[in-house]
Amino acid sequence: MAEIAFQNVTKSYGATVAVNDASFTVADNEFFCFFGPPLSGKSTILRLILGLEKPDSGEILIDGKRVNDTTPAARNIAMVFQNLALFPHMTAAENVRFPLVERHEPADKIATRLQDVAEKLHIAHILHKMPGQLSGGERQRVAIARALVRDPAAYLMDDPISALDARLREETRVELKRIQREAGRTLIYVTHDQEEAMSVADRMAILERGILRQIGRPVEIYDHPATTYVAQLLGSPGVNILSARRMGATYDLADGALQLTAPDGLAGVTELGLRPEDLRVTPWQGGTGRPATVTEVEPLGGYTVVTLAAGPTPLRALMRGQPDIRVGAEVALTCDPAQVIYFGDKGQALSRIGGERL
Amino acid sequence: MTAIHLQNLVKRFGPFTALKTMDLTIENGEFMALLGPSGCGKSTTMNMIAGMESPSEGRIMFGDRDMAGVPMGRRGVGFVFQNYAIFTHMTVRQNLAYGLRATRRPADEIARRTKAMADLLQLTDLLDRPSAGLSVNILQRVAIGRSAIMEPAIFLLDEPLSNVDAAFRAVMRTELKQLQRTFKQTMVYVTHDQLEAMTMADRIAVMDHGVLQQVGTPLEIYNNPANLFVARFIGSPGMNLLQGTPVETARGLAIDLGPLGLTPTLLPEQAAAVRPGKGPVLYGFRPEQATIVGDAQGMAMPVTFVERIGARTILHLGNGPQTAKTVFENEAGFEQGKILHFAPHPAAVRLFDAATGTALKGH
Repeated sequence: MAEIAFQNVTKSYGATVAVNDASFTVADNEFFCFFGPPLSGKSTILRLILGLEKPDSGEILIDGKRVNDTTPAARNIAMVFQNLALFPHMTAAENVRFPLVERHEPADKIATRLQDVAEKLHIAHILHKMPGQLSGGERQRVAIARALVRDPAAYLMDDPISALDARLREETRVELKRIQREAGRTLIYVTHDQEEAMSVADRMAILERGILRQIGRPVEIYDHPATTYVAQLLGSPGVNILSARRMGATYDLADGALQLTAPDGLAGVTELGLRPEDLRVTPWQGGTGRPATVTEVEPLGGYTVVTLAAGPTPLRALMRGQPDIRVGAEVALTCDPAQVIYFGDKGQALSRIGGERL
Repeated sequence: MTAIHLQNLVKRFGPFTALKTMDLTIENGEFMALLGPSGCGKSTTMNMIAGMESPSEGRIMFGDRDMAGVPMGRRGVGFVFQNYAIFTHMTVRQNLAYGLRATRRPADEIARRTKAMADLLQLTDLLDRPSAGLSVNILQRVAIGRSAIMEPAIFLLDEPLSNVDAAFRAVMRTELKQLQRTFKQTMVYVTHDQLEAMTMADRIAVMDHGVLQQVGTPLEIYNNPANLFVARFIGSPGMNLLQGTPVETARGLAIDLGPLGLTPTLLPEQAAAVRPGKGPVLYGFRPEQATIVGDAQGMAMPVTFVERIGARTILHLGNGPQTAKTVFENEAGFEQGKILHFAPHPAAVRLFDAATGTALKGH
């Protein structure tokens, strides 16, 4: 049982503000993900939660109790290390038991805890095996069992699967999510892979140079990013950002290749965000405006990424299936104004705002 | 002008055979990806092309020149590794210009080519920065530029993007492709990431356990995988494969999937490849190639997990021994625990021999 909260927490290293006035609450049993590029403050937040660092100001609360001065051991938060390292010379059971043995817990308590955790994580049948005999998924379960055996209030993972092959990563992230649902407990997770973050997180927090920019469910943040920065972090290929040139009742975008009816009652739009899957590409058949030119076609099998030259920056469209489209072709661009994200001069989203604004 | 011919290439390390009889021609100016999981033999193949390892058997030809005994430095290949090897005491400019200086090119040519490469790789603003302290992303870009500036006829890259972050990886995929279009080198690219291979390569050589599984364009391999390994490895998620036995029905041949019921009737060319009583087959279809059908039709599997990733929703189906995944564009109505009734597009179905794993094709 653990709710973990930051209230206006700031942490600096010399002149660098690693975490800047951060406030958030991670609910009990939540799978909560911190996401951002390198040096955005993700790892510092983990270290503050663990108690390896002290905040310069602000409060860190676990279940409503201030823990700023509590030692890491007394906070009872477990860390699952990167690459899910197990001791190779110990059996799975010895690995799981290790944190309790190290603390000289009584033998009967160790046995009970081991059994509890093994049942929860479905590893009872492999406890006698050495790590080398286990599959990747089994090793993962054993590593998490070792973190859970001392009954932590919450457990933290810092980019735990980044070293795995692409295919294994896709399977492992789903496995992690299942384990967390079955075993319960608050899980705080850090990754730099947007697809992984959206896949696993109940809610996620987006960081920009130590500042929390948005907190919400992945789908809310994807559909309703608070800023251009947030919009650009999620999605692959990334969102198209176009400068908004208003011509009467329409926006004239991408040097005339995309015309868009301006929505009513929206003032101060300087940029528009358009997800590649919302940009429709059809053969050019004349008409108003002008065509865009296909400069790149990347087949993914189920989808095709098409890069288009129109205006100052290339546009990306994500098309379903394997359309017959060639480099050099002239195409017409259209999109549904309701799918567009409108941004103001500070990069702030103007109408389609969701999640918890900060 | 250099094509690469690998002829009966074998590599053994003591009792372990890392590569078993590989035959592959990489055309001049082609972008070839060697794709497979760790330990499949792709890096071993690459190292032999580079001259870092010698083959146990077989030949490597660059055009009509046999490379046996030709040392790495004389092969005219550029090489970029997973771990960028950058001189950290030098600036970006000095790193880029290193090879040109070592070969004593005139100063004005060095300046011109260094600037051109910096422009191409968006390093212009960083040219006079010391390399120490630059991010991993930028360092890998410098490493690629330092190798590419020599304009090698053959450019070898061994997982160059696996240490950079995901967002940067997407940018670099486009840049590497542009680089190859500009210089028209023969490019050999080793990766375990099917997405990188699909998006960049002209052709892909899929490898597993030291054996070449299939060679073809990205879409050939995606649409018509030669065997189960390729079917599973290509695509994100990979192909669904459900085991069953061919049975005759009133409407034609179908596959009996046991508790999951009957598949839709096979198309004639698929039916020609299987016969009732001839043993189990695997019924394959891509996760993107299924549609939702009425409650009484199609195949029925419970939704065990809903994974929404941006534009796509991946449904994980089945809690028994047979599982499948489907991909749809939005999450409306997809709930964990519900039964999904779906059917693959008939033409998208692929059949595999359950015993040998090879694709079954009608004649």
